[in-house]
Amino acid sequence: MTRATSGFVLSACITVLFNTALACVKDVNAPLKAFLKSVAGHDWTTQGLIDLLLFVALGSIFVSTRISERIDPARLTEALVVAVVIAGLGLGLWFAFV
Amino acid sequence: MTISLSDVILLAHAAFGVLGCLAAVWVFVEVLNVRPENAARIRMAALVVAVCMVAAWICGGYWYVHFYPSEKALILAGPWPLAHNLFMETKEHLFFVTAILALLLPIATRERLDTNSAARKLVLCVAALIAITGLTVEGAGAVIDHGVKVALLKVNRQP
Repeated sequence: MTRATSGFVLSACITVLFNTALACVKDVNAPLKAFLKSVAGHDWTTQGLIDLLLFVALGSIFVSTRISERIDPARLTEALVVAVVIAGLGLGLWFAFV
Repeated sequence: MTISLSDVILLAHAAFGVLGCLAAVWVFVEVLNVRPENAARIRMAALVVAVCMVAAWICGGYWYVHFYPSEKALILAGPWPLAHNLFMETKEHLFFVTAILALLLPIATRERLDTNSAARKLVLCVAALIAITGLTVEGAGAVIDHGVKVALLKVNRQP
């Protein structure tokens, strides 16, 4: 795969997991939620902007540093699938039981 | 019949989401039958996925911030509070996953998919994940809508 693809796949893995962690942490941390709200008027809006910036920034860094090129493409695909499954199940279970 | 701005934005959000999911399935099927001749069509379909999901993000985000608080209060006072506590909370955060995948898809489809099996598997996985998470989010939207409906029915039944 090209370094652009591998870089942004790795970035997507990290962004997806970061998004899940931030959703759970802000749910139990009122000061963090209030801070996110103060940035863009709503915590959800700020979280979306952070996710977008993180995806673009990490992707650009991984493309320029060629870090992701050292990872086997099949492993990158597996990592993305695992990250999305963790995100989906994690968010569902968190809001169901916490 | 009165169609409010809130209704238009909400329905546009759902419509763009469904179109994005359909386009992801389109990408999936095209990649299963990948040839040099359909490479441009795959890239165009991937771009349609990204544009539809970004449009769904903007419409849904605007509606969520400006119009949802009153519906949230109704849901929480009604018989289906889990429509917000579980389904909306999960939906609003799972959607970011769908959106990131939708932005990744046009990048991944720039690969030579007819000759690169690793890239082909990646695009198939990304397209499938977009369709699955997107339809999950759509389904959650239906439950949230039902949460509002049963809350309003309860209010109207009270003497």
